[in-house]
Amino acid sequence: MTCGGKAAIEHQEQVGKTTESSSQDTTSPTLTLTPSSTPLLQDPSHHYLLLLSDSALPLGSFAFSSGLESYLAHARRTTPSSSSQYLYKPSFTSFLPLSLSSYASTTLPFALAAHRDPGLTAELDDILDASIICAVGRRASIAQGRALLSIWEKSLAPSSAVSADARRALEGYSAVLRSPSSTTAGQNASEEEGEEVLPPPVSAHLAPLFGAVARLLGLAARQTAYVFLFSHAKALVSAAVRAGMFGPYQAQKILAGGELRVLLADLIEREWNVDVEHAAQSVPVMDLWIGRHEMLYSRIFNS
Amino acid sequence: MESPFPKSSSSAGEGRIIVDLLPNRLSTLEHISYQYPLKLISPSPKTDQPSVLVFLLSYGGGLVGGDQVNLSVEVRPGAKLSMVTQGHTKIFQSVSPHVVTRQGLQVELKRHAAFCLLPDPVQPFESSVYEQIQTFNVAFGASLCLLDWVTHGRSARGENWSLTRWVGRNEIWASEAPKLSKPRLLVRDAIVLDGKERSTQLRTLQESMYKHAVVGTLVLRGPMMKSLGDFFLSEFAALPRLGARDFRSAETRQKEAATPRLPIETWRATRLAQEQESNLLWSAASVRGCVVVKFGAATVEAGRNWIGSMLLQEGSLEREFGEAALMCIR
Repeated sequence: MTCGGKAAIEHQEQVGKTTESSSQDTTSPTLTLTPSSTPLLQDPSHHYLLLLSDSALPLGSFAFSSGLESYLAHARRTTPSSSSQYLYKPSFTSFLPLSLSSYASTTLPFALAAHRDPGLTAELDDILDASIICAVGRRASIAQGRALLSIWEKSLAPSSAVSADARRALEGYSAVLRSPSSTTAGQNASEEEGEEVLPPPVSAHLAPLFGAVARLLGLAARQTAYVFLFSHAKALVSAAVRAGMFGPYQAQKILAGGELRVLLADLIEREWNVDVEHAAQSVPVMDLWIGRHEMLYSRIFNS
Repeated sequence: MESPFPKSSSSAGEGRIIVDLLPNRLSTLEHISYQYPLKLISPSPKTDQPSVLVFLLSYGGGLVGGDQVNLSVEVRPGAKLSMVTQGHTKIFQSVSPHVVTRQGLQVELKRHAAFCLLPDPVQPFESSVYEQIQTFNVAFGASLCLLDWVTHGRSARGENWSLTRWVGRNEIWASEAPKLSKPRLLVRDAIVLDGKERSTQLRTLQESMYKHAVVGTLVLRGPMMKSLGDFFLSEFAALPRLGARDFRSAETRQKEAATPRLPIETWRATRLAQEQESNLLWSAASVRGCVVVKFGAATVEAGRNWIGSMLLQEGSLEREFGEAALMCIR
């Protein structure tokens, strides 16, 4: 698995290099002050790759720790004698791979499926909604998904680089999301005796929307998978810094580390051919930690 | 020479159960059939039984590598079925990772039917490869209680999540609902544990379980499970906050401890102490018309005691399905 993942990334780098060398032929050797006709980024999708991987992308990811805060709180066992001991020694190097593995096994197949066919986004969203069986986790996913959809509609879709077809691709999805059945169904019906409770048709979860938006902006499937998982790693590292686990230099060291790259490649390889019907939780305790985030007396994060 | 006996129409490991409702409002076993290695037993019915009871067994109490069991169940309108096991379902080792031991269950719950599945946990042995797919089609007004739990293996032999691969999937589909053209997935609870094929950057499966010897899921749906679901949600909301401090003075603490408490409060205090002691973690959430409870405990017995205590304290399952339906979690 490790070799396969590495090879794929190297292959992408190779492709990048060849396009660079071929386009250099067209540049004029004379120095000019006017912008060169050669684009700095050969592939227009790279522009969007940078945009989607930017931590300043207003998804509100900073508000979520994906169970890290709960993991830290559960490490400490409080005995009746009020002296506390550790059930396990909390460590970010243990938590990060587990969290990434869990995130990849539960959501990456959905992002990849939406990337393959953005037209299926609504259907995938409904299946994912049935698969996230944890109140805290679904809130986090929906909050970021809705934010991404707004960014797409208000900022990305109107861009001149987006084709008219791509611009319209998620229109149907948004219409269903904003229809009254999506907002009221479920809550009111449960009160009435005898009325069957059916969930809203779509909820705007992050993973399928991310896959669809990445596709519409021209990102390749592997790039999409990499950015999707890497963003999760960045959000976790940033949460760890704010939770006081380590400082910003250590944070960048983890993100720059070779271990993380190998792990991301391995996880992408593992989930590459998994269809959404077979997406599953690979770290069962993660559901417990995330689900019990509400039990924390004081919290700095929403998940 | 050709066999003089008619060829069996059902294949190995197949089973079928149909439960119907008699005019006198009593649930009855309409049909039961099974093939080796699956074995189904239903005790002779009593006139006052609230539900039909079926034991889900396998020869030798477990499934040998490569065994395939497939049971389909239909509970007709208004009828009630409860299904239990006799001891852990042992999953023996597979000779290679490609030999998968499978257990499938397809359940059709018709209108206002009810099904209570409270088995013993599944116990995957070292080097076992297991897949368990359970699908529940739940019609309008039907009720379902489903417990699915898995242990770390034979601890006496030093096994601790030593399995090769485990896949467990439970799907609840809404069928025959008004305004529904095709069945719709309500909840999919899926777990995949990989003991061998792991990234070099991931810890072992055993380490990733954080000292839990058993993990499980309880799914509740339908009008008959309403009060039990609400009970889990309210008990979850009543859990003490992690990291909370007790600001009461020693005097008030003593005074409050001395004042008589409601029976439910006494029960809760005992349960919370046990949860603390056995490192039992649980959460409950209301998801798309179902209540999903997840739990994990440091020992299998602690997990069993906890789920048993919760179900017996609330009491509605025992009333609706009878004492025998809860025999595995006592």
